[in-house]
Amino acid sequence: MIDGQGAAQTGAVQADAKLHQAEGQAGFEPRILSFLCNWCAYAGADLAGISRFQYPPNTRVIRVMCSGRIDPAFVPRALLAGFDGVMILGCHPGDCHYLSGNIQAERKMTFLKKLLAGEGIGAGRLILDWVSAGEGQRFAELVRDFTGQIRSLGPFRVTPEAEGTLRAIQTALEGERIRWMTGKAGELLEKDNVYGERSDPDRVREVLEATVRDELRKNRILRFLETGPLTAAEISGKLAVPLKETLPQLVALVGEGRIGFEPAEESHQPRYVKSG
Amino acid sequence: MRLNYPSNVKVVKVPCTGRVDMLLILKAFESGVDGVYVAGCMEGECHYLRGNLRARRRVEQVKKLLDEVGLGGERVEMFNMSASQGQRFAQFAREMTERIRSLGPSPAKKNKEVLP
Amino acid sequence: MATVENEEVKGGQAKPVGAVLVVGGGIGGMQASLDLAESGFYVYLVDNAPTIGGVMSQLDKTFPTNDCAMCIMSPKLVGTGSHRNIRVITHAEVKEVAGDPGDFEATILRKARYIRPDKCTGCGECAKHCPVTIADSYNEGMSRRAAVYLRYPQAIPKVYLIDREACIGCGLCERVCLAGAVDYADEACQEKIAVGSVILAPGFEVFDAARRPEFGYGVYPNVITSLEFERILSATGPHRSHVLRPSDGTIPERIAFIQCVGSRDKKCGNDYCSSVCCMYSVKEAVIAKEHVPFIKPTIFYMDMRAYGKGFDAYYERAKADQGVRFVKSMVSRVRQQQGTGNLIVTYLDDQGKAAEEVFDLVVLSVGMTTSQAVRDTAARLGVRLNAYGFCETNPLAPLATSREGIYVCGAFQSPKDIPETVAQASGAAAAAAGGIAAGRGTLATKKEYPPETEVASAEEPRIGVFVCHCGINIGSVVNVPSVKEYAATLPNVVLADENLYTCSQDTQEKIKKAIQEHGLNRVIVASCSPRTHEPMFRETIRDAGLNKFLFEMANIRDQCSWVHMRQKPEATAKAKHLVRMAVANARLNRSLGETAVPVAQRALIIGGGVAGMTAALRLAGQGFAVYLVEKEELLGGNLRNIHRTIEGEDVQAFLTDLIDRVSAEPRIHVLTGSQVTEFGGVRGNFTTAVTTAPAMTAQKIQHGVTVVATGAEEERPEGFLYGEDPRVCTQQEFEGRLAAGGEEAAGLREVVMIQCVGSRNEKRPSCSRTCCATALKNALALKRLNPAATIRVLYRDVRSYGMLEPYYAQARREGVLFVRYEPEAPPVVAREGDSLTVSFAEPILQEQATVKPDLVVLSSATVPRENRELANLLKVPRTAEGFFLEAHAKLRPVDFASDGIYVAGSAHAPKLITESVSQAYAAVARACTILSKENLMVGGVVAVVDGERCAACLTCVRVCPYDVPVVNLRGEAEIDIVKCKGCGTCAAECPARAIDLMHYRGEQLEAKIGALVEG
Repeated sequence: MIDGQGAAQTGAVQADAKLHQAEGQAGFEPRILSFLCNWCAYAGADLAGISRFQYPPNTRVIRVMCSGRIDPAFVPRALLAGFDGVMILGCHPGDCHYLSGNIQAERKMTFLKKLLAGEGIGAGRLILDWVSAGEGQRFAELVRDFTGQIRSLGPFRVTPEAEGTLRAIQTALEGERIRWMTGKAGELLEKDNVYGERSDPDRVREVLEATVRDELRKNRILRFLETGPLTAAEISGKLAVPLKETLPQLVALVGEGRIGFEPAEESHQPRYVKSG
Repeated sequence: MRLNYPSNVKVVKVPCTGRVDMLLILKAFESGVDGVYVAGCMEGECHYLRGNLRARRRVEQVKKLLDEVGLGGERVEMFNMSASQGQRFAQFAREMTERIRSLGPSPAKKNKEVLP
Repeated sequence: MATVENEEVKGGQAKPVGAVLVVGGGIGGMQASLDLAESGFYVYLVDNAPTIGGVMSQLDKTFPTNDCAMCIMSPKLVGTGSHRNIRVITHAEVKEVAGDPGDFEATILRKARYIRPDKCTGCGECAKHCPVTIADSYNEGMSRRAAVYLRYPQAIPKVYLIDREACIGCGLCERVCLAGAVDYADEACQEKIAVGSVILAPGFEVFDAARRPEFGYGVYPNVITSLEFERILSATGPHRSHVLRPSDGTIPERIAFIQCVGSRDKKCGNDYCSSVCCMYSVKEAVIAKEHVPFIKPTIFYMDMRAYGKGFDAYYERAKADQGVRFVKSMVSRVRQQQGTGNLIVTYLDDQGKAAEEVFDLVVLSVGMTTSQAVRDTAARLGVRLNAYGFCETNPLAPLATSREGIYVCGAFQSPKDIPETVAQASGAAAAAAGGIAAGRGTLATKKEYPPETEVASAEEPRIGVFVCHCGINIGSVVNVPSVKEYAATLPNVVLADENLYTCSQDTQEKIKKAIQEHGLNRVIVASCSPRTHEPMFRETIRDAGLNKFLFEMANIRDQCSWVHMRQKPEATAKAKHLVRMAVANARLNRSLGETAVPVAQRALIIGGGVAGMTAALRLAGQGFAVYLVEKEELLGGNLRNIHRTIEGEDVQAFLTDLIDRVSAEPRIHVLTGSQVTEFGGVRGNFTTAVTTAPAMTAQKIQHGVTVVATGAEEERPEGFLYGEDPRVCTQQEFEGRLAAGGEEAAGLREVVMIQCVGSRNEKRPSCSRTCCATALKNALALKRLNPAATIRVLYRDVRSYGMLEPYYAQARREGVLFVRYEPEAPPVVAREGDSLTVSFAEPILQEQATVKPDLVVLSSATVPRENRELANLLKVPRTAEGFFLEAHAKLRPVDFASDGIYVAGSAHAPKLITESVSQAYAAVARACTILSKENLMVGGVVAVVDGERCAACLTCVRVCPYDVPVVNLRGEAEIDIVKCKGCGTCAAECPARAIDLMHYRGEQLEAKIGALVEG
């Protein structure tokens, strides 16, 4: 779960972002949410101010103590709230005030980018980079570059499909199983596992990705079925995932008792329904 | 399987549906339940050979009785299922709850003298 | 001569070890374990899998009754898992068996489970959280499971385990396990156990269909195996019993079954027949059609081998009424159609013409094979296998392996179905017990209880209620503290408490203490299902001196928190209702006594053929006196007409030896020329009157068990000029001539055998099972005497099942001609001048052929001996064809519905000698579960009659499924508590309500209903 304060802050800037959505495409001004760590990036941003380095006004900043605090679930939440891009800036590797928070952040965001790319949202709306307390100039440049990047991508439209996907991503990332895995993966890659052995890094990454992907797809399927029964082929079409990969998710959902079959079965194509 | 079904359904365990007599079903209505269903083994698979067949007959008779006294025979039903058919159990529980919901509360509740 | 007797320990002075190692916990291993444990032996049941249940746990339905496999098996699972004299060791293998019969030392390697069985409650939180998913072998890879898992929901032991190969070691399961059962430091460990005998029941694995590449398994997604299809049909399968094909999740309309994949197949070295595939395919076809009426199943077969009891009727029904299409053919290959995922099946039909057909789904009926792991175990144990990897046995001693003291049963002995496995398992139990009978009762323990505190029905109930959180299984949905507080307000409740896990060992101690401290005389646990946990809690309160019937359970997990997860307030309200119901009932619960009735430790066996004599010897070998009643003057029965088995064993020598040993055995009283004239009593205490010719002297025998082994005989055929022309004879007559001497037989130039004479027709729909084997045996014998003889076998299906199949192949190799006929156009035997002619339809040439043989041999039906009167006396049922009807076609093949009476041999259905021997042993094992006890406990949940109110209307007599109630001389119904099984049908139907069922009394059920509604 996103914590109360984080949610409130995202919420506060959200009204602002909504407003902008109504403005339409003409004269598109990207809305960018930035998370800056207290010790490096935030200080860097202040330095930019002290030094009067100019940068575009498109970003709204939330200060966090460490980039490691950024919950991956904040990102889909920000996009859903109406932002066009999310920027996370932390200390340079080795400089983290909390030793390895930035490295953890990098691991989580790399994974999240892959996920966003895989599910059709695109990885270009999220950026993670490093700014030290002395790099006011660099901060301004990064904001400028990212604003340009988002400008060229265009506004992020929360279509029903995109909303479904993002909500599914958010739900998946808020689930205990995945939070444990995303948190644990780094440790498993660097240290011995519970058996006192080193896990195969490829296998760990594969499990992490599969876990999130499956969870995500299952959540999306459940959302599709909210509007009425669908056949496997229709679900596969909506997911934009081959039937071969869709069927196992349906089997899993049936097994968990979360979906079932429409009782009438004269047709050769049974339709799935959400369980009551 | 953690299948969801309405919490209105309460189960009374009996060794065999053959143990369920007509009076017991009627007593249930007298006590104020809105519907009764008897769930037994699949026909031909009764652990006690043919208790479920007898139960079905009795349920049919109670149906007639309830029709006669104006309670409505639909308030009582016999279902058959096997031990591995959790889904079927949940489905019957849902169906029966829906059916009783649409019939409304049992008249016997307000008016106990309807039944002997 | 076979060493039938190797189960007897020779020369052992010291007492044999009274324990048995059973390897394999499928239906066979469980049956053997239960029989042994129930007759005074301690059992170690070792299974390679993490749970017992074997392949049967994966089956949806079973033929020919279409019983749900899990429903009929789960009582055995629970019984095995909870038996105090069975130690179930799963996820383990037998490394070595050293020593001698009666005194073995077995080394067991237990693999690491990483979950502590003493702590795991089976709640499943670990699996719900585990991030890993891999193919689930229980569903044949068609669904996925976590790395920490339980093989199937009903598994025994209900203990999870970590699949170490799949696990990445993230540690989440440990974190979420509130019971603290996860132990990553667990290691494999070896243990040595002392046993007197060993039973091998490791079962089979299905043939790897990829070894027949022409069928495209593993290449085309819509080609699946029959076991995969079985899982698809199952309610716990990947699609919850919806028939969907793998490629696109649509419902297939045209389904092809291809028979004999990996059976009757020389190419892959499996020359044998797998015996069960014909029937399971018919079953799967019928069930699929039941699920989806538009499914059109087609079965491509070579011979339809529906040879078991009731099988042919099932097959005919599938063909005639249930729309299953049967095509006699040889399938050569399966190809996938471009784009559709459909499959093109190419085959040669009955007339040898090639044909093609398109199907939506192809099911390969894979055969049975022995797994490499089992072959390795056999090698380590020094047990020889036959050429096909099954256990080597002698047909006259089918339960003994090549190593003395080690016995075998089930599909590892030879492919077989469930009832034959169960019968053989009981048989192996008898064989294993036979060698160590002197050790009976030395290791098996009986529990000693403290004396029971008397709780008079007038005494004020003092109820203790224990509400369980079950980790978070209940607690996260139901507000447990509020249920507890509510319980405390209910009448007569003097204590209400809550526990994290009420089933844990320390909670048991807590409950016992509470009983003492608070003077409780009723205990209620509100937690999970009484089906699984009531026995344990009953044990707990009994340990504290309370009668076990003073315990009551409220199922607030399986029937509340798990099914109303999203309606928390309603679930809490329901939990309160359920507790209130339990309290209302507990107030009325009474102590119920169980009375000990002494057992007459003697057996009566009716019928002195191979089954009867074998059973008599085995029972006597276990120390019990036996009365063996034979109608004829001579012992031997139908065995007297058989000279050789198909394998070449000398049957007459075997018979002589049997008779000699029966006569020499002092514990066996042989009563030839005798008949049963009166029969009465119940299990443990029967009284039978036997009258012996010629003086017709009568005697009464007191005995504890009865074995019916009255056998069967060859029918005198009708038609085909039998009895009119000396050149027409039956198979048994022909066998006699072949045995009498070579000369006459060697002179035979041309012989025609006609199969199914008197079988598989309207009058007698069943297959006589043994005639195909007899025809093959006699044809081969004639070929040995005269290789030039022309032998034509006119058949409908050649039913050389199991290890008989290689003899069919041999006969064809040696030039015996097999010609199929249709029942509508049977062969005609006539006389033309001096010659005998047989004309028949030649299917390949499609013309009528006529031959002039020297001899026509009729494979006449096997019919039961006259047994109607006996059935009436014993009150045991018979089939329409007059064979005795067992209690349950699948799991109780030698029991009658009436306890203490068993059936063995051909009286049950036609059988080969080897099968009769197995079954005779089985009857012995079943009988020993009663004979080994000095007393039987009776009572508890039984119906009782209030004589005052009884009007002797006979309703109870009519409705009782077991014919227990009788109206006594006082004109009142009387229900023998020894016979009553406690279903309560009589109580429900008694017009005067004079009958009540103890523990489920009308008053109690009404109180429960009332409690559910009020408030």
